[in-house]
Amino acid sequence: MKTLDLTTKTTFKTFGFIAILMIALLAFDTSYGQTEERTITGLVVNEDGPLPGVNITLKGERVGTSTNFDGEFTFPKKLKTGDVLVFSYLGYMTQNITIDAKTNFIRLELEPDMVEMMGDLDTNTPYKTKRKKN
Amino acid sequence: MPKSILYVFCFIVGGLNAQISDFETIDFRKADSIALSYNKERLTNLPELTYKLTSQLNTDVERFRAIYRWVCANIANDYPLYLKNNRKRQHFKDDSLKLEAWTNKFRQQLFRKLLRKKRTICTGYAYLVKALADLANIECEIVHGFGRVSTTNIETLELPNHSWNAVKLNGKWYLCDPTWASGIPNPKTKSFTFNYNDGFFLANPKLFAVNHFPLDDQWWLIDENIPSFESFLAAPVIYGNAYKNLELHNAPQQMHHEIKKNGKVAFSYELKQTVQPDRVKFYLDNGNGSWRTSPTSISIENTSLKLEHQFKRKGFYDVHLYLDDDLISTYTVEVLGD
Repeated sequence: MKTLDLTTKTTFKTFGFIAILMIALLAFDTSYGQTEERTITGLVVNEDGPLPGVNITLKGERVGTSTNFDGEFTFPKKLKTGDVLVFSYLGYMTQNITIDAKTNFIRLELEPDMVEMMGDLDTNTPYKTKRKKN
Repeated sequence: MPKSILYVFCFIVGGLNAQISDFETIDFRKADSIALSYNKERLTNLPELTYKLTSQLNTDVERFRAIYRWVCANIANDYPLYLKNNRKRQHFKDDSLKLEAWTNKFRQQLFRKLLRKKRTICTGYAYLVKALADLANIECEIVHGFGRVSTTNIETLELPNHSWNAVKLNGKWYLCDPTWASGIPNPKTKSFTFNYNDGFFLANPKLFAVNHFPLDDQWWLIDENIPSFESFLAAPVIYGNAYKNLELHNAPQQMHHEIKKNGKVAFSYELKQTVQPDRVKFYLDNGNGSWRTSPTSISIENTSLKLEHQFKRKGFYDVHLYLDDDLISTYTVEVLGD
């Protein structure tokens, strides 16, 4: 080893650093090992900020939760890639979010349903012709 | 007739008129009792509510029925809110920006009220039926358009004023009107009384067309004689009870008639169930007084009801048709002198 010159040492150091970096990347890469079931958390907002009371259910199953006062949620069942969460709130468009390999945290903005509100009422009041007064 | 031919025949007839009679073999009592057993449920968790209403039912039509029935039994019509909206919409009708701003503000206000107090106006009913049906994987749409009722000022029917639903069941579209089915508001006391009218559930599209004019043509669901807006405005006024008692309102197709003294007006209906002649009455109003009378002639063959009435005196008459105490429809007749 004594024969190694300074350049070779630097090269080893660099390689070592890259190796450690790669291992670190693998270890902390969010997509690594995500085929396992995992806990999903998230935040639901609307145009004004966090939206409390949004219902989140797992499509096809009767398991769900709703967002807290700060619009946050932790889904009570561990989910796997391909599961679909349904976000619904009265007056907003329902959104389906598919859990992909990288999903751990969902940030979602719900869009208001731009339906025009109107309404005439039915009555049993008999129709009456407006007559000119004599 | 061999059964297969009968089925084909039924299919063809059914294809023309998608309505409740397609589901004659279905007993809706289970769906109704489920719907009514969840009367206290709130709107804070729609997926859970949908699950409760539909999970014990086997067919889409029953699942939809439970949703529709629940909405009709639980959502009250907010009369003051309706009046306020009408006022604002009329006020802003020539200013599209202001109308849009109002519409947006009102929508938020309306959803808050629906969520907290289970009160709304008709788009709220149609919206909720669709929202719950969506969660039950039943295809459902909100239909916007014009609704014509006795108290609508026909001359000022400029802006769309009503919303209802179309629902796809077994591959076919059907119509229903949860707002008008839920009950009757009292214009004097401004209170709303729940009084479910089953006639608006998967109603005959031809009867529906007498007082529902959709903005989008695809929601007439009739193949022929689609009314123009003018003929829609000129049609007779029919009431909620018409949906309880009638299958079709065939004639007259106009509300107003001008005839000479001793002239006759002819009326023709298809009933849901046959009636005895003594149950059929007219109520006439000439502005000075009103009275009950029997039609000049009544002909009933099974469910076909044909009437004629002769007007012997000059005047301008509001003519109301009643079956027992149920007000069915109104016409106006001007009887001219010789």
